[in-house]
Amino acid sequence: MSLFEALFGRKKKSAEAAKDRLKIMLAHERVHALPYIDDLKKDIIEVVKKYAEVNDIKIKTEKNQDIDFLEVEIVLNSPSKD
Amino acid sequence: MGTIITVTSGKGGVGKSTTTANVAVGLAQAGKRVVAVDFDIGLRNLDMILGLENRIVYDSIDVMEGRCKLSQALISDKRSKNLFFLPASQTKDKSALKKEKVRELLEVLKKDFDYIVIDSPAGIESGFENSIFLADEALIIATPDVSSVRDADRVIGIIDAKSEKAKEGKEVKKHVVINRIKPEMVESGEMMSVDDVLNILAIPLIGVIPEDKKIISATNVGEPIVYDKNSLAGEAFRRLSRRILGEDLEFLELKSKRGLLGIIKGLFS
Repeated sequence: MSLFEALFGRKKKSAEAAKDRLKIMLAHERVHALPYIDDLKKDIIEVVKKYAEVNDIKIKTEKNQDIDFLEVEIVLNSPSKD
Repeated sequence: MGTIITVTSGKGGVGKSTTTANVAVGLAQAGKRVVAVDFDIGLRNLDMILGLENRIVYDSIDVMEGRCKLSQALISDKRSKNLFFLPASQTKDKSALKKEKVRELLEVLKKDFDYIVIDSPAGIESGFENSIFLADEALIIATPDVSSVRDADRVIGIIDAKSEKAKEGKEVKKHVVINRIKPEMVESGEMMSVDDVLNILAIPLIGVIPEDKKIISATNVGEPIVYDKNSLAGEAFRRLSRRILGEDLEFLELKSKRGLLGIIKGLFS
């Protein structure tokens, strides 16, 4: 912090806010752009269908520093009770 | 064989056509045989920025649909003798551009020119795909604001998915051009700096263009700023063009013209 800032106070500059917001936003968005995500989704559905009825499948991807996450949530049809 | 450079951005209004015009002129002034191609079908602008709007008779759709010869549609620029311009169609709808026709056209142009500079439409629809699928290099234009950087990131992410070169395992060279930097705002922390943007986008930098009022006057008269030897933005575009040709040039040092308060602030920091 410069002397000027010490004397006159300092609030978070908007450029810094822009940077932070973009980093968070893009961490979520980047992975949506994975070219194979739709095909992957189709294939997973095919595999799961062999064993169970699928209601819905949610694929979430996230990039955090150097780690890429792939989160797959499969909602199964609950088996009938008769 | 010529090199296809596609100028693209994601967000509209960040300076794609201006950059296309100035890079095309810059390359031509460096002695290369260049054609600037407007692919923004229905919303052409490159013609006015280049100052060639009154000389259009045929457009690229006419060529692709066989209504005229390529040589009839190509407009030669009087100021730069190596520079030619192929206008976009203004009346027909965007779907008029067919991928295979585009391929034929670009392959002919590649034989005749050193550089084919394509002004791509904003967005990531079919028009974008037609502009990028045969590109050897891409210039991604971003201004230092959140929407532009976010959209630039999206575009960077899908270039390889649309590119034939990438499908063959080759690399599409991708570079970012940061446009409309306002040094005084960067210095006061109210605008992201070049480094901030590069840090986020993580592709190499090839140009930094300062905000310059002279660009507006240049566009008004249809004379790209790169011709103006006294303009900072013009110099920035000249350097950008020479970097495309492989020269390793320093980036312009952009500093604000400080007022009294700025000078006092500078003494303390």
